[in-house]
Amino acid sequence: MRRAVVFVGIVALAWAAWDTGADPVRLARGVPWVLDFIRRMIPPDLRVLPSALAGAVTTVEIALLGTAVAAVAALPLGFVSARNVAPAPLFYPARAVLNFFRSVDTLVYALVFVAAVGLGPFPGVLAVVAYTTTSLAKLYGEAIEGIDPGPVDAITATGATRVQVLRFGVLPQVLPLFLSYILYRLETNIRAATVLGFVGAGGIGFYLQTYLRMIDYAAASTVLLVTVAMVMIVDGVSSRLRDRLV
Amino acid sequence: MIEVQGLRVVLPGATTAVDGVDLTVRQGEFVVILGRSGAGKTTFLRAINRLVEPTEGTVRVAGRAVTGAAPAELREMRRRIGMVFQQFNLVRRASVLENVLAGRLGYVPALPSLVGRFPQADRALAMECLAQVGLARMAERRADTLSGGEQQRVAIARALAQSPAVILADEPTASLDPQLTGSIMDILRRINVERGLTLVVSQHQLETALAYATRIVGFRRGRVAFDGPPSALSPAVVHAIYGDGAPA
Repeated sequence: MRRAVVFVGIVALAWAAWDTGADPVRLARGVPWVLDFIRRMIPPDLRVLPSALAGAVTTVEIALLGTAVAAVAALPLGFVSARNVAPAPLFYPARAVLNFFRSVDTLVYALVFVAAVGLGPFPGVLAVVAYTTTSLAKLYGEAIEGIDPGPVDAITATGATRVQVLRFGVLPQVLPLFLSYILYRLETNIRAATVLGFVGAGGIGFYLQTYLRMIDYAAASTVLLVTVAMVMIVDGVSSRLRDRLV
Repeated sequence: MIEVQGLRVVLPGATTAVDGVDLTVRQGEFVVILGRSGAGKTTFLRAINRLVEPTEGTVRVAGRAVTGAAPAELREMRRRIGMVFQQFNLVRRASVLENVLAGRLGYVPALPSLVGRFPQADRALAMECLAQVGLARMAERRADTLSGGEQQRVAIARALAQSPAVILADEPTASLDPQLTGSIMDILRRINVERGLTLVVSQHQLETALAYATRIVGFRRGRVAFDGPPSALSPAVVHAIYGDGAPA
């Protein structure tokens, strides 16, 4: 059995290497071009710094706003997708819908929303909301499934309504987890939002793509450096906040 | 006060936890349910307020049928049935006062309660209940910073805040150090005597049951094996309740 799995795995990988044209010689031949690319990026052209910074601000805005809206929108979905609190007729359809929409990436949503509402940061926000809502809902649901049922019993026994039970028996148990998931999503959304500009959905990605197309590598490298700094700052702030939660 | 007839509870997995129990508890009684673990004590108590759905039989509390009640009606009846759990079941991250206020959830306006707003009268009542268990000065502390014995007293205050007619207590001292058993049972007795509240408390400790009960009901394999005053509990009866295992 194990041998068969290993054999199938090796065959699959070999076939994939052949089918994608993976070739170490080709890679080696490309090295000079990579070096040339890097050489042309140095020194970065700091004249484009203002527009790179403006793009970075937009990207952070897209991620922040999108994550915030999704964090709230995911709440009801999270509760109906938790086996231990949702009635079965709600739970199964909710899980199916979430799994379906979650398999579509932010960038694909961005293409759809750019077509729907036009170019700019707004379709980017919508794309972040669409993906993050379903992915947070899944995380929320799993957090709810892991709670201690004791307080839920106790609140139920007081004669509380179902919504009161969720608010007093469930929410206090999962809130720190929820906040930590939201921050984690914010970090990944910053990264996802950097490429949204490639498809016209606003932010720093627009500048990166523009300068690359213009073969202005010195300008592109400034944008790249700003992107790296932005991601590192957001990650740093976010992970510090998360440490406080746990 | 509590009338149980022909109660059977089959749990998921086809275990019959309660197998045909008839029991009538009168107003003001302090009933201790005795039995080994697995005898059906917990399931019996949880079937009274329908935390566990009875498979067969009827339960009436204060003259009204709990079994068959519609959801809204059931919630209204649950307000009058306080419950104390072996694991306290407090909301650990909430304050002591917030935990006691939870006992008022069935009475207060629903929407304000969801944002944590409770009428002044309910806050006052919650503080009064905390004072009764001797923890008024701990009101603002987070529940999980209290000791086990204190947490159980908060849980009793929460049940009292419901203005209940009945309190069900499921092994309220089993998770505590033995020397705390008396303090918790004393509080329950005081509630019983001073307020005339009906108490049904499950216990696996024979000595504790004898010291506090006005009536003892012995459970064995989901059935009532003994029902009478503590004085009638002979060694033969104890043997019948506990079987071959020694009383723990």
